[in-house]
Amino acid sequence: MKEIKQSKAMKFDTTYVPKGSNPVAKTIIYILLIIWSVINIFPIYFMFTFSLKSNEEIFGLNVAGLPRDWLWSNYASAMGTGNMGLYFVNSILVTGASIAISLIAALMATYAITRIKWRGSKLTNAFFMLGLTIPIQASIVPVYVVLSKLHWLNKYSTLIVPYSAFALSMAILICTGFMVEIPYDLDEAARIDGCGLWRTFFKIILPLMKPAYSTIGVYSYLQCWNEFMFANVFISDSQHRTLPVGIKALSGQHTTDWGPIGAALVIATFPTLIIYIILCKRIQESFIAGAVKG
Amino acid sequence: MKKRLVSVLLAGVMALSLAACGESTAPADTTAPATEAPAAEEKKEEAPAAEEKKEEAPAADATADAGEALTLNMWCIATESDSNRHSYEEAIKEMAANHPEITLNWEAFENQSYKTKIKAAVSANEMPDIFFTWSCAFLGDFVDAGKVYCLDDAYKNYASELPEVMMGNSTYGGKHYGVPLTMNIVGLFANMDLLKEAGYDEIPGTYEEFIKCCDALKAKNIIPFGCAGKETWCVTEYLESVIEKSVGADALNDIFLGRATWDNADVGAAVDEFQKLVTNGYFDPSGAGLTNDEVKANFMAGKYAFYMNGTWNCADFAANADFKDKVKVSEFPVINADKAKLGQLIGGPSDTLAVAASSPNAEKAADYTFELGKLICHYGYLDGCGLPAWTPYGDTSTINPLTQAVSEICAKADSYVLFGDTAMSADDANTYLSYVDQVYGCQVDGTKFIQGLAKDIR
Amino acid sequence: MAGQTSVSDLKKQRRRRDVVQGINIFLFLLPGLLLFVSILIAPIAVSVYRSMYDWNGFSEGTFIGLENYKELFTNGSIKFMVSLKNSLILAAFSVFVQLPMSLGLALILGRKPKGERFYLTVFFMPVLISTVVIGQLWLKIYNPDYGLLNTLLGVLHLDSWKHVWVGEVKTALGSIIVPTIWQYVGYHMLLMYAGVKGVSPDLREAAMLDGATAGQVDRYIVIPIIKPIIRVSVIFAVTGSLKTYDLVRILTEGGPFQTTEVPSTLLENMLFLRNRYGMGSTISVMLIILCFAFALLITAAFKEKET
Repeated sequence: MKEIKQSKAMKFDTTYVPKGSNPVAKTIIYILLIIWSVINIFPIYFMFTFSLKSNEEIFGLNVAGLPRDWLWSNYASAMGTGNMGLYFVNSILVTGASIAISLIAALMATYAITRIKWRGSKLTNAFFMLGLTIPIQASIVPVYVVLSKLHWLNKYSTLIVPYSAFALSMAILICTGFMVEIPYDLDEAARIDGCGLWRTFFKIILPLMKPAYSTIGVYSYLQCWNEFMFANVFISDSQHRTLPVGIKALSGQHTTDWGPIGAALVIATFPTLIIYIILCKRIQESFIAGAVKG
Repeated sequence: MKKRLVSVLLAGVMALSLAACGESTAPADTTAPATEAPAAEEKKEEAPAAEEKKEEAPAADATADAGEALTLNMWCIATESDSNRHSYEEAIKEMAANHPEITLNWEAFENQSYKTKIKAAVSANEMPDIFFTWSCAFLGDFVDAGKVYCLDDAYKNYASELPEVMMGNSTYGGKHYGVPLTMNIVGLFANMDLLKEAGYDEIPGTYEEFIKCCDALKAKNIIPFGCAGKETWCVTEYLESVIEKSVGADALNDIFLGRATWDNADVGAAVDEFQKLVTNGYFDPSGAGLTNDEVKANFMAGKYAFYMNGTWNCADFAANADFKDKVKVSEFPVINADKAKLGQLIGGPSDTLAVAASSPNAEKAADYTFELGKLICHYGYLDGCGLPAWTPYGDTSTINPLTQAVSEICAKADSYVLFGDTAMSADDANTYLSYVDQVYGCQVDGTKFIQGLAKDIR
Repeated sequence: MAGQTSVSDLKKQRRRRDVVQGINIFLFLLPGLLLFVSILIAPIAVSVYRSMYDWNGFSEGTFIGLENYKELFTNGSIKFMVSLKNSLILAAFSVFVQLPMSLGLALILGRKPKGERFYLTVFFMPVLISTVVIGQLWLKIYNPDYGLLNTLLGVLHLDSWKHVWVGEVKTALGSIIVPTIWQYVGYHMLLMYAGVKGVSPDLREAAMLDGATAGQVDRYIVIPIIKPIIRVSVIFAVTGSLKTYDLVRILTEGGPFQTTEVPSTLLENMLFLRNRYGMGSTISVMLIILCFAFALLITAAFKEKET
C-alpha cells in the first residue's frame, strides 16, 4: 500500500472529470447506480412503514405503501414491553466503553511498537495482528467457562472486555498507520528537552493522533454495535441485554405481531443512521483513512 | 356431576404407573384398584379446606417457633408471557400468607436462556435455593454431579397427596430429587369446522379412517397437519405418536431410556409410515419455515385441520372466544393393533421444582418447595395449563372443557412414554432431534434413521 | 582511574536505562497484552487442550485424544461437513459476486459521477445496521404468507415462483446469501473506493492523454494499484464467511433439516443444547485452522499473481 500513501490520497476536491466516455455507457451507469440505491434504501423504507401499521394492513393489500393509520402505539409497546430504550442505552454503554478501552490500549501498544526501538517490536506487532484472522467464536467456549466460574456473566463488563480485545488488533493496525507518519524528530526533540517516554506519549503523540481517534472509533463501532454471538451467550438477564439480543427476544414474544417488531428495528437503526447522515462525510473519511493507512 | 367425574377419572390416572427414568421405579401397574381411588377422592373432596389447614398449620408453627426469618431464592421460567405465570403468582401469594416468616425472592427467565443460565449456575455452584427444572435427563445431569438436595425426608409428609408414580421422572437411584408440578400429554387437536367441510363430524377413531379423512381434507384444499419445522420438537409430537401406536409403548420406552437399541425394524417401518404422511402432502409445506407460535396462530386462524402438540395448549385454545367451540382433542389412532393399543400416550410430568444441595436452608426449602409445588399445580390445573401431578382438591368445575377432555383421555390411559427429548440426555436428545429433522425433510428413510441413531447415540 | 570508573558508570547507566526502558515498554504494552492474551490467546490454548476431552462443562472430563475430531466427520447428526460446505459456498459468493460488485461500484464512483457523495452515503448505510435488524427485516420480506417477496410475485402473477424462502432446502441457503452480500457490498466498496481515490489524478490524466478509455484506465492503472486493498477485502470476505453466525441464527436456525448449519451455529449447539464443551472446543480449533489456512492461501495466491 506504499504507493497509495505516497500519492497523498483523499482529495475530494480534485477536478478530474472523465472525458470522452460515451453517453450510452454513462446512462447505463447511472441506471445501475440508481437501481442499487433503491435496493439499499427500500428495505429501510419498508421497515419504517411496517413499524407504523397494524397486522391487517401489513398482511392485507397495503404491504409496501405508506401506512393509512399511523400507529405510533407500536412504538409505545416496543419501548414499554419490549424495553428497547434500556437496550439502546446498554448498547451505547457497552460500545462506548469498548471503543474507549481498545483505543487507549491500542495507542499505548502502538507507541511501544513503533516509537521505541527494541528488538521484539516487529514480533509483537505480528503477534497482535493474529487477532485479525482469529474468529471471535473460537474463544467463546473457554471464555464462557471462565466467566461463569468467576460469576462474571450478566454484567456490562462481561461484554466490554471481550469486545475491547477483539477490536484491539484492528485498532493497532490503524494506529500504526497513523503513528509512523508523525515525524520521529519530535520524539528526539522532546527527549532533549528532558521529556520521558510517558510525557512524550501524552504531550506529543496523543494530541497528534487525534485524526486517528475517529477512524478507530468507526471500525470498533462496526464490530461492537452489531455483535450478537457473545451478547446472546453471555447475557441472559434482561437488564444488560444489548440491542441485537433485545430484538431477538422481542421478536420471540411477538412472532405474529409485526408492528412492534418493526418499531423496535427502527428504534435500533434510525438514531445511528441519522447520526451517520449528519456526519457522513467525516465518517466516510475516517473509514477510508483506515483503509489507506492500514 | 362433571366435577365428580373428572376427579374420579383423575384418581384413576394417579394409580397408573408412568414410564420413568430411574432404573429403580416400579414396572407399569395397569391393573389399578379402581375402586379404592374414588373412595379416597371422595373423602378429600368433602373437606378439602380443613385438610389444607391441618397440613399447613403445623409447618407454619414449627418455623414460627424457631422464630427466624428466612429468605429463599427461586428461579423459574414463568415469565410474564408464560401461560403458567398466573398460577405461580397465585401460589406464591398464598405461600406468603401461610408462611409470613419466609421471604421468597423469585426470578423468571425466558425458557431457552434459562437452560444456559441454570447450567452455568450449577457449574459455578451458585444455584438459587429452589430452581425449576425438567425431569429425567436434564435434572439427572445435576443429580449425578451431586448438586441437588435429596427430598426423601420431606416427601414422607406429602406422600398422601403426591402419588409415588408421579415422582418417577425425578427419581434417581431410588431417591427423590424433584417436586413435579403439572403433567402434559400429546393431544390430537382438531378444527371441527374444517372436518365438517370434509364430511366428518367426529375425529376418526381408526388409522384407516384417519388417512381417508386426511385425503378428503386435501381434496377440499384444506391442509391436514400444521407443524413447525423450525422447532424440531414439534415434529417429534407427530413422529413419536406414530411410532408408539405402531410398536407399542413399552418398546418405545425401552429405546428412549437406553434399555433397547434403536436398531429395531418395527421402528424403522413406523418412521417410514410417518414419512408417508409427509410425502402424501398432509403437512403444510410452509410449516418448515415457521416457529411453533406461528403455526399455532395459523391453526387457531383455521389454516389446518389437525395440530398435534402438548395439552398445555388447552388453556390458550379455550381462552380464544372464536376458536374454543371449534376445537376438539383426541388420541392418535392405533396403527398396528397387534403391538399397540389405545391408551398408550406420549407425555408425563416434566415440569419440576428442585432444591439445591448448596442451599444453607435446604431442609426448610424442601418443605417449602413441596407446599409451593402443590399450590402451583393446583392453580395451574384450574387455569388449564395441564393436568395435575398432585391429587386435585377444591372446586374443579371451572376448568375448561378441553382440559377436561384430556383428563378423560388420561383416565383411560394404559401407559405413558415421556417425550423423547426430555427422556434422553442433552447430547442424545439432540442427536435424536437431528435425525427426526432429517426424516421430516425426507433426507433419510426409516432404515437409515434407526441405523444412524444406533450408531450415533452414545 | 577516573576514566575507567566513568566507563563502568556509563555502562551501568546504560544498563539501568535499558532496564527502565524495558519496564516502560512492558507497561505500554500491558493493557493491550492483558486483553489480547486473556481473551484470545489463552482461551485458544485452552480450546486446543479441551478439544481432546469428552467434557460436559461441569463434571470432570475424560481424555479421549483425537476422538472428537474423528466424530466431527463421522457422526451423522453433527453435520460438520454440511456446515463447512455452506461456509465455502458463502465465501465463494462473497469473493465472486460481492467483491466484483463492490469493485465495480468503487470504480464507477471513482470517476466522479454526479451525486457521488449521495451514492457513497446510501451504499454504506446497510453496513451500519445491526445484522440482527437486517435478519429480522429480511425475515419479514421472506415470510411465506405475508412477506414482501411472495406478495410481489403474486402481484406479478408469478405464483409458481413463490417459495417458503427460508424453509425450503432449495432456497434456504440462497436466502441467507442475498442479505449477507447486500449488507457488505458497501463495506468493501468504501475500502476499494479509498484506494481508487488514492490513484493520483496526474496518472489518470496522463493515461487519458495517451488515448486510454476510462475502462482501460481502470483495468491497467487503477486495479493494479489497489490490489493490496483487494487482497485485504478478499481475506476479510473469506474469513468473514467462515465466521457467519447472526443471519443464520435469525433467518433459518440452521434449518430446514440442518441444511444451512454453519460452524458457528454448530458450535453454539454443542455448548448449549448438547452440553458437549469438548466437541465445541474441537469446532473452535477447526475454525481457527481454517481461517489461517485461507488467509495464507489468499496471500500466497496474490503473491503468485504479482510475480
